[in-house]
Amino acid sequence: MAELHIKQIGKSFGGVEVLRDISLHVKDGCFTSLLGPSGCGKSTLMRIVAGLESPSTGRVIIGGRDVTVLAPERRNISLMFQSYALLPHLSVSENIRFPLRMRRTGSRAEQDDLIAKALTLVQLEGLQDRMPRALSGGQQQRVALARAIVAQPEVLLLDEPLSNLDARLRTEMQVELIELHRRLRLTTVFVTHDQDEALTLSDRVAVMTNGRIEQEAPPSDLYDRPRTRFVADFLGAANVLELAREPGTLAIVEGQIRLPDPPRARFIALRQEDLELTRNPEHFDHSLPVQIVARVFLGGRTRYKLDVEGLTLFAIVPRGAYADAESGTHVAWNRGAIHPLSE
Amino acid sequence: MAAVDWVRAQARKESLALLAPGILVLVIAFLFPVGTILITSVLERTEDGAFELTASHFGKFFVDDYYLKVAWRTLRLALVITLATVIFGVPLAYIMRRAHPALRFAILLTVILPLMTSVVIRTFGWLVVLGNGGLLASLVAPFGVTGRSAVLMHTETGIVIAMTQVLLPFMVLTVLGVLQGIGRDLEEAGRTMGAGFWQVLRVVVLPLAVPGIVSGSLIVFALSISSFITPSLVGGVRLPVMAGSIYQSIGGSFDWPFAAAQSTLLLAATLLLIIPYARLARTP
Amino acid sequence: MTGLAPPASARLLATALLIFTALVMLVPLGVVIASSFSESQFLVFPPRGFSFRWYGEILGSQAYLSAAWTSLRVAVIVTALSVLVGTPVAIALAKSSTPGRAALSGLFLSPLVLPTLIFGIGLLMAMSIWLGGPSIWGLVVGHLVICVPYVIRTVSAVLSRADPQLEEAARTMGANVWRRYIHVVLPQCRTGMAAGAFFAFNISFDDAVIALFVRAPGVETLPIRIYGQLEFSPDPSVAAVSTLMILVSAVLVLLVDRAIGLDRMA
Repeated sequence: MAELHIKQIGKSFGGVEVLRDISLHVKDGCFTSLLGPSGCGKSTLMRIVAGLESPSTGRVIIGGRDVTVLAPERRNISLMFQSYALLPHLSVSENIRFPLRMRRTGSRAEQDDLIAKALTLVQLEGLQDRMPRALSGGQQQRVALARAIVAQPEVLLLDEPLSNLDARLRTEMQVELIELHRRLRLTTVFVTHDQDEALTLSDRVAVMTNGRIEQEAPPSDLYDRPRTRFVADFLGAANVLELAREPGTLAIVEGQIRLPDPPRARFIALRQEDLELTRNPEHFDHSLPVQIVARVFLGGRTRYKLDVEGLTLFAIVPRGAYADAESGTHVAWNRGAIHPLSE
Repeated sequence: MAAVDWVRAQARKESLALLAPGILVLVIAFLFPVGTILITSVLERTEDGAFELTASHFGKFFVDDYYLKVAWRTLRLALVITLATVIFGVPLAYIMRRAHPALRFAILLTVILPLMTSVVIRTFGWLVVLGNGGLLASLVAPFGVTGRSAVLMHTETGIVIAMTQVLLPFMVLTVLGVLQGIGRDLEEAGRTMGAGFWQVLRVVVLPLAVPGIVSGSLIVFALSISSFITPSLVGGVRLPVMAGSIYQSIGGSFDWPFAAAQSTLLLAATLLLIIPYARLARTP
Repeated sequence: MTGLAPPASARLLATALLIFTALVMLVPLGVVIASSFSESQFLVFPPRGFSFRWYGEILGSQAYLSAAWTSLRVAVIVTALSVLVGTPVAIALAKSSTPGRAALSGLFLSPLVLPTLIFGIGLLMAMSIWLGGPSIWGLVVGHLVICVPYVIRTVSAVLSRADPQLEEAARTMGANVWRRYIHVVLPQCRTGMAAGAFFAFNISFDDAVIALFVRAPGVETLPIRIYGQLEFSPDPSVAAVSTLMILVSAVLVLLVDRAIGLDRMA
């Protein structure tokens, strides 16, 4: 276990810049997610940490050792692939033994011991002699996980490991991953495009787009205080609004609302939970007359699609407030709900 | 800074090491012999023992009526053989695609087994079938067909029949490859839109199979113009084809430069067919 | 079979075509096999009587036995070399990091579609001019160039279905280059290598074209011996040898099917 320093990494493929000046510090035992849409460079960054790609500029330091030009097999890391990459000709236990065998870790008996422990951790006791193709997707995923943790890597890299599972299994595995991380405290980098997954699992999340890290923060900070338009948009919990420019003040939907103390930014975020549907707009700092366009029932909450003179807003209303919401004539919020964003 | 992409550099080194023995074999067993043919075909030994460039070996081929006839026969036979493989091979491929797996495997085996048998044995079989006192002759004898007309040995028909057997698998497998890429739903869609079975074949399946038929034809044609054992044993000396003529120049008249010139022509003709074939094969 | 069955006319035509094809494809092999059990001196059809005398004849024939021994030796050497050379080429062609893959694969597979005759003549000329005449090694080299593409194809066919990330996974688990190949890459190639070996053996063992040109004086392979007999005076002993060779080919075809499935060669 060790800390991971990514220092000013840049990467170009044939003139196309896919990573620009990325710096990231993952503390010892910390679970950090790289979150972003496909093509944002998160997988390339992870492959650079693994040594499967070389950076054009910058360095990778694991546990104080500069590994920038070290071959993957000589780094002490593990990578769990999206496809699991189980060796089809080896049984479950031989797959898990593989990293120990390649790194010549311990005697055979000691290896058996580690394998048994890993199997217990991922709840696969009794399946050690099966071949990978005789396992379900979920079981294969657990084998891959066991294989990734068995050699006690300095850094554990997970490349969208849950994306091939169905929704129910995925939620189950999320809980298990949290459990596993609490027990083992491996320095972990988790690559995903699923914001819920990133926010649920991580100690910290780095949101990436266009080869850059937009914001790196604990999940709650990211959620409550998105710093850029992209982050607010991508996390999907906020309405991102462009402010119209008028002399002296800024306004949402020209002429409708004046912000007495306008932020300097061109964009602001209004979290969906912070919006309320009401008949009494005078109780709030800001309000707009509104029409309900559609509603999506989300279990404990309902999401409303609203129309404010051609502008679409979303609001999330908790179960207890349905009655008020349905009769609401205005969407309203208080000043604290406004988060200025940088572009 | 580490501007060098060491990962890629290492991967390339690895690929090169893997390819090295193969490249060595290609050079020794392919480029070197083919190069020798090309060089031999354009060199002539002068009286003082030196070599000089000449086109005379090619000239010999093009001015002699005999060789032009041989070339014409070779091309004509190849054309008929190609046509025969299309006529039988395309429906066969279609049947294979629709057939139950067991039947499909049986057809595959039937088509591949002769291909995997030595050409001398296959041809031997045809000699027994087509020859004097052979199977065909004894089958048609009761119908009053006897004598020369019952014996297909030493006829072009005999060559076509024997060669079609050998080359049919190439057509069937090529077309099958393309047919498998055509979704069954296309046919079913055609049927639901009111087209009958034959109409669907004509307006849906056949047009989509054309690339497969074309590339199958190119390969069959190429293989057929260069085939040697079957035409020379079934056709005999009276019906020489290009390959037989080359063999004669090597073993009979010991005119190696002329053999080289004929080989070069044959190779050029093959390449002319193979290049479009490779293009077709690469774009599925 | 899904709904929308073809009309009766189509079924009838298909059945006729299948029967006709089966006859054309298999009868020539069938008559050879039938002739091998003939009692008569001459090759006539239908064969007369039934005996194993021609099998006894060939097993006692020095010429056939030494030809068989030559064919076997050449085929074994060619098979081993083909797998040794073809497998790494197929592995390289499967890697996305190999530059110019399409062109290379076209080049390596081209002997499949170029006239075998050309290789035979070229080798004969090259060896006569530069190496003092043909030898059994010329035969090996000539067979190698037509057998390697089969190994490349069968191994490529297997690798195309393999997970390309396995090698990377092995590296992140600490496997160095040798261990990566021994423990990860080659085990995936196994079935393709086996199928390629069966093909290579069959092609080499059956080849008559290259052997006809590139043969050292006094060295004869089985197909050449058969070819010689056919040119002059075929008797049922040729049918007996041929039957045994058909048997070898049939077994090899079934082995290829067991290894990777004949379907995959389409």
